Amino acid sequence: MEKLKPRDEADCLEIVKWAVADKKPLEIVSGGTKRGYGRPVEAAALADVSGLSGISLYEPEELVMTARPGTPLAEIEKTLHANNQELAFEPADYSKIYGKRGGSATLGGILAGNISGPRRIKAGAARDHFLGLRAVSGRGEIFKAGGRVVKNVTGYDLCKILCGSWGTLAILTEVTVKVLPAGQRILTVIVSGLSDSDATNAMAAAMGSSFEVSGAAYIPADVSIKSATDGAIAAIRVEGTGPSVSYRAAGLAEMLKPAGDCRIEKTGDSRAFWRSVRDAEFFTEHRDRPLWRVSVAPMSGPDVVATLRGQADIRAVYDWAGGLVWIEFSSEAGDDAGAGIVRDAVRPHGGHATLVRADDGVRRKTDIFHPQDAALAGVTSRLKDGFDPERILNPGRMYRTV
Amino acid sequence: MNSAPEQAVSLDQHSALEMPELDVDILGRRNEIIRDLRALVPGEGVISETSEMRVYESDGLTAYRQLPFVVVLPETVEQVSAVLRYCHKTGLKVVPRGAGTSLSGGALPLGDGVLLGLAKFNRILDIDYANRTATVQPGVTNLAITKAVEGRGFYYAPDPSSQIACTIGGNVAENSGGVHCLKYGLTTNNILGLQLVLITGEIINIGGKHLDSDGYDLLGLLTGSEGLLGVITEVTVRILREPETARAMIIGFPSSEDAGACVGSIIGAGIIAGGMEMMDRPAIHAADEFAQAGYPLDVEALLIVELDGPEAEVTDLIGRVEEIADANNASNVQVSQNEPERQKFWAGRKAAFPAIGRISPDYYCMDGTIPRHQLPKVLARMRELSEKYGLGVANVFHAGDGNLHPLIMYDSNVPGELEAAEDFGADILRLCVEVGGVLTGEHGVGVEKRDLMPEMFSETDLDHQQRVKCAFDADGLLNPGKVFPTLHRCAELGRIHIHGGKIPFPDIPRF
Amino acid sequence: MQTRFSIHQLADPDISVANDILRKCVHCGFCTATCPTYVLLGDELDSPRGRIYLIKNMLEDGGAPSPDTVKHVDRCLSCLSCMSTCPASVNYMHLVDYARDHIEETYRRPLSDRLFRAILAKLLPNPRLFRLGMIAGFVAKPFASLLEAIPVTRRLAALARLAPSRLPGRSANEGPGTFPAMGVRRKRVALLSGCAQRVLAPELHDATIRILQRHGVEVVLAKGEGCCGGLPHHLGKTGDSFALAKRNIDAWSHEIDDQGLDAILVNASGCGTTLKDYGFMFREDPVYSVKAARISELAADITEFLNQLGLDDPTIDPDLDVAYHSACSLQHGQQVHEPPRDLLSKAGFRVHEIPEGHLCCGSAGTYNMLQPRLSKALRNRKIGHIEGLDPDVVATGNLGCITQLATGTKIPLVHTIELLDWATGGPKPAKLS
Repeated sequence: MEKLKPRDEADCLEIVKWAVADKKPLEIVSGGTKRGYGRPVEAAALADVSGLSGISLYEPEELVMTARPGTPLAEIEKTLHANNQELAFEPADYSKIYGKRGGSATLGGILAGNISGPRRIKAGAARDHFLGLRAVSGRGEIFKAGGRVVKNVTGYDLCKILCGSWGTLAILTEVTVKVLPAGQRILTVIVSGLSDSDATNAMAAAMGSSFEVSGAAYIPADVSIKSATDGAIAAIRVEGTGPSVSYRAAGLAEMLKPAGDCRIEKTGDSRAFWRSVRDAEFFTEHRDRPLWRVSVAPMSGPDVVATLRGQADIRAVYDWAGGLVWIEFSSEAGDDAGAGIVRDAVRPHGGHATLVRADDGVRRKTDIFHPQDAALAGVTSRLKDGFDPERILNPGRMYRTV
Repeated sequence: MNSAPEQAVSLDQHSALEMPELDVDILGRRNEIIRDLRALVPGEGVISETSEMRVYESDGLTAYRQLPFVVVLPETVEQVSAVLRYCHKTGLKVVPRGAGTSLSGGALPLGDGVLLGLAKFNRILDIDYANRTATVQPGVTNLAITKAVEGRGFYYAPDPSSQIACTIGGNVAENSGGVHCLKYGLTTNNILGLQLVLITGEIINIGGKHLDSDGYDLLGLLTGSEGLLGVITEVTVRILREPETARAMIIGFPSSEDAGACVGSIIGAGIIAGGMEMMDRPAIHAADEFAQAGYPLDVEALLIVELDGPEAEVTDLIGRVEEIADANNASNVQVSQNEPERQKFWAGRKAAFPAIGRISPDYYCMDGTIPRHQLPKVLARMRELSEKYGLGVANVFHAGDGNLHPLIMYDSNVPGELEAAEDFGADILRLCVEVGGVLTGEHGVGVEKRDLMPEMFSETDLDHQQRVKCAFDADGLLNPGKVFPTLHRCAELGRIHIHGGKIPFPDIPRF
Repeated sequence: MQTRFSIHQLADPDISVANDILRKCVHCGFCTATCPTYVLLGDELDSPRGRIYLIKNMLEDGGAPSPDTVKHVDRCLSCLSCMSTCPASVNYMHLVDYARDHIEETYRRPLSDRLFRAILAKLLPNPRLFRLGMIAGFVAKPFASLLEAIPVTRRLAALARLAPSRLPGRSANEGPGTFPAMGVRRKRVALLSGCAQRVLAPELHDATIRILQRHGVEVVLAKGEGCCGGLPHHLGKTGDSFALAKRNIDAWSHEIDDQGLDAILVNASGCGTTLKDYGFMFREDPVYSVKAARISELAADITEFLNQLGLDDPTIDPDLDVAYHSACSLQHGQQVHEPPRDLLSKAGFRVHEIPEGHLCCGSAGTYNMLQPRLSKALRNRKIGHIEGLDPDVVATGNLGCITQLATGTKIPLVHTIELLDWATGGPKPAKLS
């Protein structure tokens, strides 16, 4: 397979034009940390865009940064950190669940996958911070969308549709994101010994309070966790300035005391814990086991898990106050990696399930992203036609025919 | 019985605005079409008398008016679906309309199109406190959502100034903002699910009560799509718990430049205020006269800064903002001492646009966004333009996010003033783009800024947007004449302009 | 908003005023959402902004309006909620009053409509006729369905249904007359005795006079005074309404010139709005303009006056949850918000706000008879909100609201003044016994 490494936007344009003309499907890769996410791409050539790197504009007072998509996340975070700022959606690095060393994720990859961490429940997802872009579409044309200001409704919001399109519509060549002041202090309220549904209720109470919770996760007792030895824990995070954080953590502990044993964990330990939640580090040990990412209404999380526990040997971790459930099957999940029972369990709740990890054979045969009904699938397919009619950009990564 | 087609399409709009060519075949079949529509939407749901339709000839932007071909006010999703299916089959254009408060002419009717009003969809369907969502029909007003949940201490965050009247459906279509956007986001950041009827009559559900989308982010794409992609029939929004404390400060400055610099310093200090608004002298006076908000009347610029969160944090932040204000030449500072007073501070700001109606018979409200540090330059240029065109301008500014609302004052009964106001407005928006900003921050493109789109986007950029339109509405029946200066045929847009046989890029590195 | 009146049209002082009002409207639409009929019907035509547009076109075109225009103007309750909302201060009241006058002058309604409206306009302002009417209505009550079946008399059925099943006797306090202050006289006021209210609920005047007397206020029921003219005014019967208003202006002017008046009090808030508008109504009248303006200046709602005077401490602990229903004429027409609530709290009642308090209950003068369908929908909506609060009693400042709401709930409804009178030494309202 041909491997190409464009240096700039002009190179990307050349590559796409060639691919269109010669009908050569391309797999687009940046840091390569998430190649296991989605259906295997059957491509004639691989385009590695990690060469399009570097921050081109950063104005802390305007809360805005423009960078090329191959810029390593580490570089971005370091630059922001120097100004006490951050990407508020808390981008995750899933490398380890695929057995790779972390640290090579890029901004473009994060945006292409719309990957957001625990703070999503407060600050929004990657897509909510994506302000503007330049890209090469599958038509071999350079286009731009959005802008560099936070408030902008000029034309369709193409940032949104490219965010989470997994490179199937266009190759990003420049992105502008909103940046925000970082919380100076973190405290985590830990409630121990709760069942799945009690934990979800506790997290809902915390989220429904005025304590500005920025993370709410539940780790059941059967999931091993380095920093805690006390069985099941529900963890509620608050961030911000000193006195405010102490006040809010104390308020939460007081509020949740009737639910179970409460303690408050300090900044240092908290950071490590939330990093492991963000990167789904609980599921890095058995890489042969299918891993699902289920998105449902927060209160539905325990129901989905209970249904599945009745049918299979699974381990689950809840993030987003119950709205994001990571579900790992033991090895005997069957030919479809549990797709049938997972989607049956999700259906009554109206969310969706994505198969994040499975071997290539399974991923080729199984719907990785949630199957769409005819009307919706029609829209998806026509959108693909609009950007990439020849199906040369990451073909099949999301859906077989898209 | 029904008005003659000739009458029905008598153009009443401003001459400079070109709308899609009237479909003569549709005009000739008016009686038949009205009869068919009446069969789909009974009762008073089909309005076809000229005297009645005239009431629908414009929205919040009265500079543009057009008598609709017919007005249809469905009451059920099935009726919406049936009407759209009929329009699709018949080749009849459709203009969706919420409360008709658009300031960009987003709901300007078409002389050969159905004006589809969704105001009868005004029920709240579900409030789910545990999942923190509310599911409502599109005709529910923005404020009504907050009213429905405030008893339990919750609220819906986006709060456009017209929130008392504008509908959530319209908010989604325009991606409306408000005064609390910097911290809490626009509509797009606060909705979770939509039910949408396509022009084919197909009903699709997008999202729900869960947080992230599966597949392409249609929720994000549809928000701000200005009624060109489908008709929204249900919206699920995120509701938030009210902050423990919220206090507003009003800070007066001897110049707009000082006020602008103060905003930069506040954000630079890492303070993200719940709201940060600026008004200049004419706006302060008009707003205060209506709302008796207690604004200082001897200042050139006024900032309203709202800080929210735990009491201790708010008190601390107020102190820091006061210091920053002093360092930026503030001439006076007032801090709200209780909730009614905070509401009073905001009441003036929220009524600022229409309150201009007290000092000028008409106003033309612009909506550009600029990088904040460009404010002094933009204000200075605006003063020059004001002199050039001989029209006054009042400024209301979402200072935190750089969204500028110059209100150009004119008198439509004086010949030539509307045209001058339009030219003035266009110059302001060009200026916004020139300094790195955008044409519209929250009001939408509509018809108003349609012809300025090429100032910001190339032909190729716009083609990529229009292909999205093709994916939803290949015949271009939904709200044509809005957003895009020219609507290309989808067949034409679908063509690819690359041919094979070229030797590929000898100098791109391979590995 | 742009208007297209000719110079010739603008020479008409009424058109000129209408033009000034229309020019203030910026078509922002804020008013729509707080308009009861728009909330019910979701049609711009039944919203203030829509009606302003209809009226603009009607007046610009001149001559008779289309039946549709009349239909939508008729549906307006004149609750004036839109005026509370309007940031541009469009005087919708004067615009719609003039529109009704224009319709009455130029438009020929169907026979049954004309008949019914004529009956209302003659009957209601005249207590003697009204009393006879109510007796007739009482007799006709069993035949309401029959009346309804005949097109021409259909509207009369609504009237018959509204007639009380028992008509109260005449009050000892029927004017004219003077009721002296108890103790030292602090003020001297006239009370509008009005028309329908004194027939239907004489106890309201009784309570008002009692409480005023106890607070050292001398109360005059001036000779020759009666209906304020509001009811015919809202029916577009401007001639009738001006004649009635003039009679009142004469009667009170006489009192002012004679012994003087500190205020002209109203305990029916609908009438209060009209009294306060006399100055505008007669602005062009060389004889009455000054006198009318003086009356408008003295006019006050009973709660405004008492609040300023200072209410005596309560003599009882009522221990009651009161849902306060703010009549549109009080909250929107006169912008009186705090006084009734403050007085009730001071008198020892626990006062509760009714959700959607800005929306009309559907009474609106003769509206409940002219637009029974919409009126009933609004009534039910209001009662739903009231019953959600589960109060012991509902207090309001307008008899129309009491009559309207009483047809749909068992919760007792009283006038604010009855509670205040009771709490400060008067008898307990009969409805609470």
